[in-house]
Amino acid sequence: MSSIGDQIRAQLPYQRRNAASLALLIFAMVLTLSAFAEVGLARDGSIPAGLFGYGGGLAVLAFAAYFVQAKFAPYADPLLLPLAVALNGVGLAMIYRLDLDTSADKRAALLEGTAVKDAADAPSQLMWTFVGIGLFVAAVLIMRDTDKTDAPLSFTPKTAQRYTYLIGLSAIILLLLPIVPGIGRQINGARVWISIGGFSVQPGEFAKLLLVVFFAGYLVNKRQAMSLIGKKIGPFSLPRARDLGPIMVIWIFCLGVLFVQKDLGTALLYFGLFVSMLYIATQRVSWVLIGVGLLAVGIFIATLLPFMGHVNQRIDIWQNPKPYFDGGCLLESGKVVPVNPDTDIYKQEAAAGSGFPGFSACAKLGGEYSDSAQLMKGLFALGQGGVLGTGLGQGQPWQTPLSFSDFIFDSLGEELGLTGLMALLLIYALIVQRGMKTAIAARDPFLKLFAGGVSFVLALQVFVIVGGVTKLIPLTGLTTPFLSQGGSSLMANWILIAILARMSHDARKPAPQAIQDEGMTQIVSMR
Amino acid sequence: MNMDKPLRRVAIFAMLLFFGLMAQVNYMQGSQAEALRTDSKNSRQYADVFNAPRGQIIAGGQVLVSSKETGKDNPKYGRTYKDGMIYSPVTGYFNGGASKVEMAYNSLLGGKDKRITQQRWFDTFIGKKAEGANVELALDPRAQQVAYAQLKKTSRRSGAAVIDVKTGAIVVLASFPSFDPNEVAPQTGLKGGKRLEQLDKQAGVIKPLIDNAMSQTFPPGSTFKTVTAAIAMEQNGLSSSSTVNTGTLILPGSNKALPNSHDTGNCGSRAPLRGAFAESCNTTFAEMAMKMGIEKLNQGSSKFGFNRPVQIEPNLRAAESDVPVEVRNPETGKMEPTGQDGTARSGIGQENVRATPLQMAMVAAAVANNGKIMKPYLVEKVRAKDQSELYNAEPKQFSQAMKGDTADQLADMMRAVVTEGTARNLAQFGIAGKTGTAEQGLGNPNARWFSGFAPVQNPRYAFAVVTEGTGSGGENAGPIAGAIMRAVVSK
Repeated sequence: MSSIGDQIRAQLPYQRRNAASLALLIFAMVLTLSAFAEVGLARDGSIPAGLFGYGGGLAVLAFAAYFVQAKFAPYADPLLLPLAVALNGVGLAMIYRLDLDTSADKRAALLEGTAVKDAADAPSQLMWTFVGIGLFVAAVLIMRDTDKTDAPLSFTPKTAQRYTYLIGLSAIILLLLPIVPGIGRQINGARVWISIGGFSVQPGEFAKLLLVVFFAGYLVNKRQAMSLIGKKIGPFSLPRARDLGPIMVIWIFCLGVLFVQKDLGTALLYFGLFVSMLYIATQRVSWVLIGVGLLAVGIFIATLLPFMGHVNQRIDIWQNPKPYFDGGCLLESGKVVPVNPDTDIYKQEAAAGSGFPGFSACAKLGGEYSDSAQLMKGLFALGQGGVLGTGLGQGQPWQTPLSFSDFIFDSLGEELGLTGLMALLLIYALIVQRGMKTAIAARDPFLKLFAGGVSFVLALQVFVIVGGVTKLIPLTGLTTPFLSQGGSSLMANWILIAILARMSHDARKPAPQAIQDEGMTQIVSMR
Repeated sequence: MNMDKPLRRVAIFAMLLFFGLMAQVNYMQGSQAEALRTDSKNSRQYADVFNAPRGQIIAGGQVLVSSKETGKDNPKYGRTYKDGMIYSPVTGYFNGGASKVEMAYNSLLGGKDKRITQQRWFDTFIGKKAEGANVELALDPRAQQVAYAQLKKTSRRSGAAVIDVKTGAIVVLASFPSFDPNEVAPQTGLKGGKRLEQLDKQAGVIKPLIDNAMSQTFPPGSTFKTVTAAIAMEQNGLSSSSTVNTGTLILPGSNKALPNSHDTGNCGSRAPLRGAFAESCNTTFAEMAMKMGIEKLNQGSSKFGFNRPVQIEPNLRAAESDVPVEVRNPETGKMEPTGQDGTARSGIGQENVRATPLQMAMVAAAVANNGKIMKPYLVEKVRAKDQSELYNAEPKQFSQAMKGDTADQLADMMRAVVTEGTARNLAQFGIAGKTGTAEQGLGNPNARWFSGFAPVQNPRYAFAVVTEGTGSGGENAGPIAGAIMRAVVSK
């Protein structure tokens, strides 16, 4: 019996698709440059100076990346690089466009309470794009094919397998860094940043990749045992306690993230990642059911704990955001009362000199304060955009809070419309599918798990943040890969693309020629 | 054991996640877009009005109101009013909220009207914003300027209205004191909002936001005798040559005498109606009113446009002019019918009778136009930016206030006012009309009126002017009306 992977490998033409990749890359660049041109034409009636600085800069970088990939990983998937460049280019153009609209006083308002440079900032985004694509180039250069481990400076994706536990440990350290006093920073209510020497980094973005490596390494060793041994009750086979251990550890860890960082999105992301990789490794649905059940229990417990009332509130806001606009207060009775500037209690608290009148007013009422203005203003942006959007440069994205980071998808929705968002979602879906195809085509179990994991984590992250800002699921703060402003996210996602590109090259390149007749194991063409 | 199968399943699951997102985005931007745009919490719909150029307001080929880019994010467009003080009674202001033509034609000026979007469906389809249409007024800018300059000299409340008797087009609508809409235009930001509040709260009777030409009522005094006479002539078979009492009249309720301004000439004891009208003998018209009763006076005046607000444009009405049959007693709070004395005083435009200058111009228009009043309007045409016509005013009859014959006789009586009556000082202006001097209660200045038509023969325009102060309508409002009508007729 030949597996799907064998079939795919058998059908692969082993062609270098560099010409196709180049054509797509040029298309991605045309897309980006057009976006810049449209911003300028809509706002000033002329081609903006940014077209050459930003578009040109991105073009040079992208073509450099292309040539490195064509030379050192010629069999790499032709779609990955152009798709990532297209996303990065659209994001850069949008941030450039938001920059133009971020007037001085608006910028000051944004900076208020956010402490770090947090307003849209195209030059820094270009710099991080430079770093990100630079990392892609470096990663493609440094990482070698799995069969060339003897080369100097030898590092293959598989090398990571040797340091599974070390990598798992570093992932956890990275995740914990933001709660270390001194370097940890809380921005927009989430303590997921560290600040070193003026630079702010979200270590979670990198921890995500390291966790995938750790899960892959761990599960490759344990998957046989976990999938085969266990009591069978009805259609379900229960795992052994010792196999259940790790999932409990991860579960408790994710709940820790949820409690300490109050970040349901991140907890969901890690746990979803672990469960999906567990399933890929063991092929047993019972693991998925156990995982989903544990997550549900975790969230249920969280909603019961008094100090975690905001999880309840998040869910409440998601279902019914209107009463929370401009400040609402969830009372213990479950009733929502407004505590916005129009209310008496707000005015009293404001007169008493409270810095956060809505918050202290709600505290006085004995409830949980929250504000749905972000979510609703984001949705209003989507409504404004409608099917075809207002056109780049012609909307009012400054009305959306965090229009350049968490809500950039809504900003794009306003100006590009439903049409633009569908295209963006399709690009994401294509990257994920290309990654999954790479996983299926890969020969090594560790690499399969690894490629599958990073592809799925990308899909899950897009789902959590985009689903959040479009009111499909409760809103939690995560970056939108390649689009959001932010260096950590860009770097981590470019590394992700580099890994996938390198592994796809590995999976798609021609098998070594059989030197002699190997009989039944010989590679044969299926055609 | 192979991982391809679960990988494929996870890949499918990942695609389901994307399908979920796509479905949600379709739901939000497709079916929910309209609901989101009009959500009460959505301030975009209010800010949106500042982000596209509004149409111009034009009169006599001059651009009175236009939008210009501010160079700021919000508001993106400001609004400039040329000679704002002069034209604000017609143009109104715009600052998100609006008044007058800015309000009445808001959807066309703002480009949101269906008439524009349907015409520009392709633009709408490709996401191009519909541009605001230009509104062309019937106003005569030169006459309007003269009117404002004249009214300004009076230094108290005053207003003037001139309408084309054949079409109903309002060619002058001026008021003093006025306000400058530039002070509250979008580009002024918070300062403008505060200024508007200040204008709104201005103390005393002087409220600049309320114009004195069509939004403020005054006691019409003797100019109302035109209405009383018209009703009496139609109902009691009187003609301009019928002899009427002009001598003293003792009011039945109070046994007090109703005075005439003078008891000489026609106002001696008896005279033809024409003479009594020309010299404005109070007793004659008070007696007429008592004879017909307040109900008849009320019903008759309704034909001229009294007792309900006059609709000028969609969403724009003039203040209601009234001949009340009963009024609320301010002390008891109960409605009390207008008694005999009150009816007599109502007949001469006192008691609780109130009228806007526009209303009195409509009365004069009925006289000048064979008893027919055309519906007054301000906006002549609306054109989209590509010059295609979206709206064109069609003259409509407002009412037949009296028979043509009655109107002709009244026209003759109005001419007599200037040739031999109370307004002989106005002979040089080539106008005919009726003077009016109404008392506005103790400590208040008189409301001084002159309403009529021009040219004297073959009248084309009807007008009314009110000013406040000591003295009489003939001496004070008359010359102002004359100056305005010179500008109107010489056009």
